[in-house]
Amino acid sequence: MFLALQDVASAPWFSLDLTGTPDISGAILYCFFTLAVFSFLYKDNPFYKLAEHVFVGLGTAYFTLQYYDEGILQPVYEYLFGEGGVIEKMETSGIVEIGGYSVDPVMALVFRGIAGLLAVMLVMRLFAPNSWMPRLPLAVMVGVYAALKMTGETQSKLVLFVGNMFKDPITNSNLLSWSELTAQPSWRIENWEAFFVFSKIVFFVGLLSALTHFIFTYRRTKVLAGISKVGVITLMITFGAMFGFTVLGRIALLIERVDEMKSYTASAYSLGPAPAAGQDPGVLSLMLTPPILISVIIIAVLALGIGIKKDGRANA
Amino acid sequence: MASVHDFDRRWIFLIMGLLVVGLVAAGISAPMPVSEYVDSYFATIDKLPEGSIVMVSADFDPASAAELLPMYTGTIHHLLAKKMRIVNVCTWPAAPPYTASRFAEIAPMYDAVYGEDWVELGFLPGDDVAMGTIGQSLRSAYPRETKNNMAYDDVPLLRDCGDSMGNIELLITMSAGYPGILEWIAQVGGRYEIELLAGTTAVQTPDLFAFYPSQLSGFLGAATGATQYLQLVDDVAIDGSVTADKETQQSRMLVQTWAHYFMILLIIVGNVIYFTGRKSS
Repeated sequence: MFLALQDVASAPWFSLDLTGTPDISGAILYCFFTLAVFSFLYKDNPFYKLAEHVFVGLGTAYFTLQYYDEGILQPVYEYLFGEGGVIEKMETSGIVEIGGYSVDPVMALVFRGIAGLLAVMLVMRLFAPNSWMPRLPLAVMVGVYAALKMTGETQSKLVLFVGNMFKDPITNSNLLSWSELTAQPSWRIENWEAFFVFSKIVFFVGLLSALTHFIFTYRRTKVLAGISKVGVITLMITFGAMFGFTVLGRIALLIERVDEMKSYTASAYSLGPAPAAGQDPGVLSLMLTPPILISVIIIAVLALGIGIKKDGRANA
Repeated sequence: MASVHDFDRRWIFLIMGLLVVGLVAAGISAPMPVSEYVDSYFATIDKLPEGSIVMVSADFDPASAAELLPMYTGTIHHLLAKKMRIVNVCTWPAAPPYTASRFAEIAPMYDAVYGEDWVELGFLPGDDVAMGTIGQSLRSAYPRETKNNMAYDDVPLLRDCGDSMGNIELLITMSAGYPGILEWIAQVGGRYEIELLAGTTAVQTPDLFAFYPSQLSGFLGAATGATQYLQLVDDVAIDGSVTADKETQQSRMLVQTWAHYFMILLIIVGNVIYFTGRKSS
């Protein structure tokens, strides 16, 4: 049999239980939208268009609600008027924490008010795009973001990063000589001290030659061109590795989709009559499971569409 | 030669599809050797003392769940099996439904109590600014937890956590892109010297090798890393609760290997056609 039938006792038609057996209606939607998107590989068609529009609509609705909840409801309404909010603290002479600092509730109200005002000014871009109002909050955002990025990135991706890359190999306690390494029951080549030094040299040569490739202000002498060529090879190897990882990721997604659909070929998801207890569900039951039924429908409709088009052309 | 150049690429899609469907249907699985990066990821969690507070950030969405959800599941099993306390946050808006379903399924297996052994703080908008806020003051970032809407100080785990990152022993992120591990390293790892672990998609994995082991104690790269990690977690998780996931991943990796062989074959054939065509012209 092409796909193995699995033993899931029964599946509900509709369930909101996150931990229970996936429901049949969910399985139908899962298989339909997956196969509808895959049908684009053949050519653009109404199934794909439907899936695309549903995806955009659902995505927009979900993200709008999430951002409304976490970006407006919680930080404005709940923050000010909710239980233990700023207004309540003002009445009880409590203290509000902002960024780890305790401040007076009035100050918290002022700070949140300024933030709200900047947000409103930003929205003004919709009504008066060239006015000064949306530019001011934009400038604040760019400034804050630049400062935040500069400090964090400099520390982690320049100071610590470069420092660690050029660390003395002696400080690495995992390094072993060849005889020590091979004496272990299981070993890795990375722990061999000679390999470690070799990899550092490769890194150093690769870095310098790749940077040299981007020097355009000097005449390309033989030496510079030679180093640049090594740089190009280093870059190509890097891009090749990145491409390999990208392929790995894309194929993993395809496999996951197919594997998930396989789980819906169980007899519990069949839309046909349920088999008697202990009886083999049979091929008909398998053919009526969502993945196979929907595949057949999509292929049949696309084939019919091609047939009608060909007939139309022949008649013309 | 003209017929080769006119070859319809949809045949390649069809062959790849049939190859994957056939191998998935066959359901063969095989164990994988564990890489150094995965070993370090596992060891970093394993060496923490019981009761340590670990922050787990789910920074992914449905598009990357195929790669990252198995890692996330394995990590939650591992942490709860070792009696760690989990503070769960999300910087991607589509992640909370995944974290809710995983905890609903896994926490009861280990008798983990909400608010004491794990807490969900939910999604925080603002990308790396949000990460910076979490690092600076967790209480300001999340005045309330998300499941029962309890105030920060009413949750025992958050009370123990305090306001700074000082009481958090480890930060683990399941990172699908921006914002993700590179932003956590910049905004929290570098500033507060907290130990970091990451599970990443295949696309992001090449960026991480340079950060290991100085700024990143270990990472799970793509579906390969997830499979290797689940093999290790299967030994510590309760009553074989991860075994099915592990076998599914192992089976998927075998399919992946054959799909890669097919890709390599296509690249070789493509190059042969290209160079032969160039020579003749």
